Amino acid sequence: MHSHIRPHTHVVLRLPSGILKVLEIKPNTNINIGKFGTFPANLLLGRPYYLTFEILDKEDGRSKTELRVVPAAELHAEALGSDHVTPAESREETVEGGVEFDIVRDDGEVIMRSNRLTLDDPSRQTLSMEEIEELKKAGTTSGKEIIEKIMASHLAIDEKTSFSLAKYTLRKSRKYLKRFTVLPLDIGMLTEFITEREAYKIMELREESLGLISSWANIHCGSASRVLTARDGVSQIGGGRWLVVDDTGGLVVAALAEKMGILYPNKDEDQPSGEVSPVSEATLSNGPKQQDATLNGGEKARAAETSQGLPQNGLDIEMADADVPASAPQEAQSSDPTSDPANSQSANDPPSTSPSKEPANSKTPSLPRKPPRPHIPQSAFPTNTLTIIHTNSQPNLSLLKYFSFDPGAPTPSHPLYHHLKSVSWLQLLHPSEDPSYIEPEPLSEEVLASLKSSKRGNYYRKRRRWERTSRVVDETRRGGFDGLVVASVMDPATILKALVPLVRGAGRVVVYNPNAEPLVELCDFYSKERRTAYISRQTAHLGKGTGLGIKSENGGNGEDDVEDADDFPVNPTLLLAPTLQTARARHWQVLPGRTHPMMTSRGGAEGYLFTATRVLPAEGKVEARGHGRGKKRKVAVGPDTAVSV
Amino acid sequence: MATSPSPFLDPGTHSAPNSLGILQLKRDHLIPTVLSPSTNSDYAEGKVENTRFGSYPHSTLLNQPWGTQILASVVDTGSRGAKSKKRKREVDEEGQRTLTHETDETSGDLVKAATASSGFAHLIPPSPETWTLCLPHRTQVVYTPDYSYILQRLKVRPGDHIIEAGAGSGSFTHAAVRAVFSGYLEEATTTNGVEHPGGEHGDVAAKKRKKRHGQVYSFEFHEKRANQLQNEIGEHGLDRLVTITNRDVYQDGFCIPSDSEMEPAPDADAIFLDLPAPWLALKHLTRSPPSSAALKSVASVSDPSTPAAIDSTSTPQLYIPLKPFRSPLNPKSAIRICTFSPCIEQVTKTVSALRSLGWLEIDMVEILSKRLEVRRERIGLQEEGLRGANPSAATVKEAVQRLRDVEDRAKIFHGLQKEKQEKIMRRAEAKKRGEKVVQSKEDKTGADGDGKKRVEGLPPSKHDRLEQVKKDLATRELFKEGRLIHRTEPELKTHTSYLVFAVLPREWSRDDEEKAKLNAMGWRVAIFELYAHKQKSIPFSENISSGKKELE
Repeated sequence: MHSHIRPHTHVVLRLPSGILKVLEIKPNTNINIGKFGTFPANLLLGRPYYLTFEILDKEDGRSKTELRVVPAAELHAEALGSDHVTPAESREETVEGGVEFDIVRDDGEVIMRSNRLTLDDPSRQTLSMEEIEELKKAGTTSGKEIIEKIMASHLAIDEKTSFSLAKYTLRKSRKYLKRFTVLPLDIGMLTEFITEREAYKIMELREESLGLISSWANIHCGSASRVLTARDGVSQIGGGRWLVVDDTGGLVVAALAEKMGILYPNKDEDQPSGEVSPVSEATLSNGPKQQDATLNGGEKARAAETSQGLPQNGLDIEMADADVPASAPQEAQSSDPTSDPANSQSANDPPSTSPSKEPANSKTPSLPRKPPRPHIPQSAFPTNTLTIIHTNSQPNLSLLKYFSFDPGAPTPSHPLYHHLKSVSWLQLLHPSEDPSYIEPEPLSEEVLASLKSSKRGNYYRKRRRWERTSRVVDETRRGGFDGLVVASVMDPATILKALVPLVRGAGRVVVYNPNAEPLVELCDFYSKERRTAYISRQTAHLGKGTGLGIKSENGGNGEDDVEDADDFPVNPTLLLAPTLQTARARHWQVLPGRTHPMMTSRGGAEGYLFTATRVLPAEGKVEARGHGRGKKRKVAVGPDTAVSV
Repeated sequence: MATSPSPFLDPGTHSAPNSLGILQLKRDHLIPTVLSPSTNSDYAEGKVENTRFGSYPHSTLLNQPWGTQILASVVDTGSRGAKSKKRKREVDEEGQRTLTHETDETSGDLVKAATASSGFAHLIPPSPETWTLCLPHRTQVVYTPDYSYILQRLKVRPGDHIIEAGAGSGSFTHAAVRAVFSGYLEEATTTNGVEHPGGEHGDVAAKKRKKRHGQVYSFEFHEKRANQLQNEIGEHGLDRLVTITNRDVYQDGFCIPSDSEMEPAPDADAIFLDLPAPWLALKHLTRSPPSSAALKSVASVSDPSTPAAIDSTSTPQLYIPLKPFRSPLNPKSAIRICTFSPCIEQVTKTVSALRSLGWLEIDMVEILSKRLEVRRERIGLQEEGLRGANPSAATVKEAVQRLRDVEDRAKIFHGLQKEKQEKIMRRAEAKKRGEKVVQSKEDKTGADGDGKKRVEGLPPSKHDRLEQVKKDLATRELFKEGRLIHRTEPELKTHTSYLVFAVLPREWSRDDEEKAKLNAMGWRVAIFELYAHKQKSIPFSENISSGKKELE
């Protein structure tokens, strides 16, 4: 992806001052980086990332602005120069390397000086402010000359210890060098960039937390996953689908999408951009093929056709079989004879599910001509998807713009177009109250034909929106997700109450919060003691034959019992091993003889993570075993017993 | 088994025979086991996992939805010994017959396990996190906080190739496979063949072959460990995604004889070095043969090190060019590297070597992670005699009340004492006078009644208090009492290792620069066409640029 700088992508420029600047590379425009200069954007196109450039402009006697690639050896000159403490060696190095660097003065002998002579006196710099300004105006070669002059006119440069000299040089070069480094705008850079300005917008997420989130949520590319159904024959189980609640403007979604291979528009650099990335293609091929195994009759032929015209550019707007890939598998599987108790068999039976077994007859009809590429509607892929649950009518995913995805007007060529699904809380919990979930009245062919073209277009658009909404909402409500990732300002317990039942058995639940307190409370809601109390209360209720039924699949939340809702805001038996953790990276300076942790770093929120595993509690009375406190009989999970925490 | 997907990546809905499942007993107590339906076991119930929290025959674990709570079974662990002994004896006598005997047994039905009265565990599919917690330790393990950050910083994405040297116990290997996984290689090629028959077949196939699938190239110096890891990877269904090589990478580098010319292995995008002397391996991780100056400075780095003395002597010999140089790196991407070293001396040497070899963006980081325990701290006099709580006074008021009670009791006690004393005195006097037992009895009962009356007004005794606490406990809801607190868990890893990150950008020569300049000229042309196709600006324009590249 980031093999070279492409037009219309966002990049990060790191200036000598350490400031990061994010901009879109638009061909045939100029890029202005303040006092450091201006240069044409075309000079960056096609160049690799991570290079440091030096601006050579008219002031340096060039006819037009040019960029010079600063070699790595020059960038490291300082650190390397002082690397070799013995003077002989360092001289040898410069001779052999044949490079001379104008920033580092080759003073030949580096002996440890003490700071005994150091005077804290600004007058030791003989150049005045005005003189330096004049030098700058005169435009000497990319600031190096200025720095040299400044250094030369420092009265006591020889008195400085080598360390303080290095610091002084660094400070001056930060100020005067006309250099910048081009970095790819990936998740890490974006996080760093936003953290410096408005960390609150991304809930002060740091890279450490992002890494932990995706590891604990078991995020990976699920494009090769099988489409499997639960025992009811309708709901999908797994398939690389994750639920997300994201109040970070889309950073969490982006980080997860990166791990799933659906964030960047086109990965393969030699591939023309018209083609969908290999990953999504694989997914696509998975869905329809799944149908092949189960569909019959005319349906089969259609499905086969779908699986034929695989590579999508998604640009065609045909909408004939708009809902085939999503709803057909479900229909198919519900009528699947093997989806009874023996479902486990069919699920693990390679011949019926493995994509490698493509029915031979499906390829024959399409041999002579290339079938038309079917349009795959938005958010229709069955595997490797992210479903975002949002508070407003539209999800806030503004940060995805840096990855060429505009959630308002998504381009079908972007993998997120098919792999990102969004459901509002209203749609999830009370779908009948959402207007877009209500089916628009279908019109007959004749009526349609009599409509004005604009009205007909409107009608189709509404139908399409309804189809998409109902498909996504229904799929989401059926659950079976591989995991749940929450980074939200809302009360985590209310979120988990609604969403944990939608996670499959052994799916992972991860909740991020900048502060510990909300998660501490959440941990308490899932504590052993509370679980024990919940179970005993449940059995008591069962004895009385009222409310609080145990539903192992979807979990009784005790919703009907008002009294319990206070004590048990969530069903504590649905999560195993809730853990609260945090991680923080400490950055170090590594220089020969001067290695130590950075003196300062950012404070602010520490960032905590709640992780747990969704489980399916056994029905009936369960007793723990283990080193109980002498008491033999204890209802369910007592403290200090098995499956604790 | 080779065709079914790995339980790490796509576990399916239910636990399946012959694939890895994990039995979670406690948060950090997990038992990995390959689920087996075979009856070839000493137990009547087939293969059994025996734990502190009960026995779990595999027949109760198989074909269960993942995440199910499994109840322990009653397993006769006693008679097993006798049975196996008997079998052994038979083997001694005649090997043939025992074999038939055993097969007889396998064909017979398993004894259905009876559910035990207590004990349970949860059955979960394996993941790099759970595997890290329960893998057989061979070396120091790279734990989740470290590897998650490393993979995040290395920007490992599906489809990437990653080199891992010093595979060790394989915890990082599993995490890396998950990160690079983008499909199985064989599968993809076969489906491509089927899917695109006809005239354009060759064309399409050629295009498809370029599609990279994620792959982990793992190197391990220790032969036994390498073999062990190979077995594990096979057992986990990951063998198509991981290439394990037993090799000394200091000496022999990272290039792997590739099976096809199209795919030079490892063609790495990211590198993770968990080696005692990463700086010795760095010289093999270059895009072009390193200059002698750079090598010398790298060598000088390792010179003063005492532990690497053998390695440094071998260094000079290495540079007799035996075969043409081949870079193990992907020429088209910026290479990200991470080295993992516990000591600061290793870090300084690594960093100097990285600088000499032209790596950029060098950054050293240490991950401090901790887990927090959350609990309720109950303090107060009502906790007297209870476990897990502090029975001292919770408030000043409570303290004062308790002091008052004690004083009151003392007063009354002293009063009683006095009375008693007097009574005894009186009795003694009465005895002296010669009066009889009858009165003393009356006296006693009277005193008792008196005492009881008094006790009612009296603050409760310790004994009474404890009784009361016990009585109250039945109605109290301890799970929501007390103050909710959190603190670092007692076991704390204060240092794992230092992580050094660096990036090696693509090589950029003068020729490349000229080409790029020409391309930029092309942009002027492209831009006009671009306006004609306003809506599809991004894909269209990129088409042009890549098309240009191909032309050149």
